[in-house]
Amino acid sequence: MSELALSAKNISKYFYVPQTFQVLKEISFDVKKGEFLSLIGKSGSGKSTLLYILSTLDTDYEGELIINNNNLRGKSQNQLAKFRNAHIGFVFQFHYLLPEFTALDNVMLPALKLGIKSKEEIEAKAYESLELLGLKDQAMKHTNRLSGGQQQRVAISRALINDPTIIMGDEPTGNLDSKNTSIVFDIFHQLAKERGQTVIAVTHDDDFANNSDRVLELHDGRLLSDKYREQK
Amino acid sequence: MSKQLLSITNVKIAFAHISSRIKQTIVAVLSVTFGISMYIFMNGFMSGVNQTQSDLAFSTLANIRIYHDLPEDRTNILQRTEGEEVITHIRNAKVIQYTEGIKNAEKYIHILNQTPQVEVVAPEVNINVFFRNGSLKINGILNGIDPEQEDAVFHTADYLYSGSWNEIKHRSDGIVLGKGLARKLSLNLNDKVIVSTAEGVTKHFTIIGITETTLASVDNTQAYVRISTARQMLSENMSYVTDLQANISDYNQAAVLAQQLNRSIPYKVESWQEANGQLMAANTLRNIIAVAVSLTILLVAGFGIYNIMNMTVNEKIREIAILKAMGFDGKDIVQIFLTQSVIIGIIGGLIGLLLGYGISVLVDHVPFKIATLENLPMTYYSMDYVLAFFFGLITTFIAGYLPSKKASKVDPVDIIRG
Ligand SMILES: Nc1ncnc2c1ncn2[C@@H]1O[C@H](COP(=O)(O)OP(=O)(O)O)[C@@H](O)[C@H]1O
Ligand SMILES: [Mg+2]
Repeated sequence: MSELALSAKNISKYFYVPQTFQVLKEISFDVKKGEFLSLIGKSGSGKSTLLYILSTLDTDYEGELIINNNNLRGKSQNQLAKFRNAHIGFVFQFHYLLPEFTALDNVMLPALKLGIKSKEEIEAKAYESLELLGLKDQAMKHTNRLSGGQQQRVAISRALINDPTIIMGDEPTGNLDSKNTSIVFDIFHQLAKERGQTVIAVTHDDDFANNSDRVLELHDGRLLSDKYREQK
Repeated sequence: MSKQLLSITNVKIAFAHISSRIKQTIVAVLSVTFGISMYIFMNGFMSGVNQTQSDLAFSTLANIRIYHDLPEDRTNILQRTEGEEVITHIRNAKVIQYTEGIKNAEKYIHILNQTPQVEVVAPEVNINVFFRNGSLKINGILNGIDPEQEDAVFHTADYLYSGSWNEIKHRSDGIVLGKGLARKLSLNLNDKVIVSTAEGVTKHFTIIGITETTLASVDNTQAYVRISTARQMLSENMSYVTDLQANISDYNQAAVLAQQLNRSIPYKVESWQEANGQLMAANTLRNIIAVAVSLTILLVAGFGIYNIMNMTVNEKIREIAILKAMGFDGKDIVQIFLTQSVIIGIIGGLIGLLLGYGISVLVDHVPFKIATLENLPMTYYSMDYVLAFFFGLITTFIAGYLPSKKASKVDPVDIIRG
């Protein structure tokens, strides 16, 4: 049995505006290290809301969240920021790169913030991360000169720079064509299998979901099903 | 790197922001520049005016004047001492004539000269007199003076219109008249004038000089003779003076020093501030105007920066959200935006110092020929420049801090959820 990367216990969340409405209903599940998990469900079922809680960005919920044996209940915003920086890599549907910076600079940012490695080491690591996504030759370009698919891959490189234990994506391939989608899928797969990094991705793409290790389905804020793909 | 007080990464992001929004940055820089240069110009100009005004005032007013003050009003002395049941009736009350002037002046001149702040002391014997030319008779003041010391205190020689000032020293019958007085008497250089005191002492003088200060009150009434001659006319001895006039190293300290001197000198020690409250009030008012106007301009500049920084924050809100999602905390976000406004403040401030100096020099050269002036007055105190820069930085700091604080409070979930 491998170690747990993440453990969600009885997570509930309410929205109070425009009226009180329970968006997540007592959701519990564990994710092992190195697992590649897809989160699916109809639009409005609460996938994004759950992912923001799992990623520690949203702290307004009931229940418990444990990541890498850290119970994240009651931690301050600054402590959580530090935690995210070191343990969680993010990929969003919209890439959110800093347009004034080159691809390389963007990728280096989270590592510079973490401040553990020297600038030279970080740069080398950033090149490596870009190379993994086939973007080494684009490193010195400003990100607003890159195509949508390239920008999304830069965002993924950035998410990998601090070797996070968990990589989270909210429809990371939502804006990509099928070719780029399969590139991103392969990379996630490779990260989970070869580096033991955990991947949790919200997706609408059935192919993407069916090829991942495990699929969680949400329905009206409740966990409807939890299926593992048969291992060969 | 995150352990450093100001993270290099944050500064780098700040630079990227301001250089990517060149137009807004220039507007923000210019508003600081404008505020600071106006601060410098306004304060330089106002203290220039104050300086001129003071210089003019000090041509007739010493920093400190010592004289024999008239005794207090004592007409009510009885009512003050008796109870209610006593009726007092004073008939034919008279004020006794006290001796005027300062006896033993040497002693007090010595005290003044021993005081380190005192730079020059001029003894005077001033008499109310009539000037006569034939049947023309005009009253005025005869100043018995030592020409060198008088000049040291009042720069009287600078205002000489014709003739010679220092000759007073050598001629017991020499007199220097104010220009207005000479005109009213229809007299010119080298003419004779008769001076008589209230006690009826009369003496003939020869006009050896005429002064013009442009102050009518001086030019129309004042005349100068050797101090010993004035003493003779009053039949007083060689140590008698009516006034001791002294200038000190920093005239703003006159009131304090006057109070201090009052302890060792049994006469009235009067500072210029006490003697001419209007001058003091006008100076203070002008300083207040200068500070109020320049701070208002800085405030407006502050609002400009505040607006621009707010716009920047709104424009970069997605970047802020992603930075926070990646682990940048509130302090980092404050640094990123505060650094931008401080950079704007420093650049705008430095240009403002140069521009303020430039404007000052320009205005300083504007011809302005009124009274003794040639050009518009201007001062260049380094303190004004230091304060202008300081206030400019404070303004940009505060104006930048509020939007930065707002940026640091951005909830990334709200933004990323869209
Ligand atoms: N800030 C919010 N305030 C109120 N309701 C919200 C807010 N954000 C999302 N919701 C609602 O919560 C539900 C779940 O939203 P979301 O998690 O974005 O769904 P999904 O990502 O699965 O499409 C939806 O009904 C949505 O309208
Ligand atoms: Mg969603």
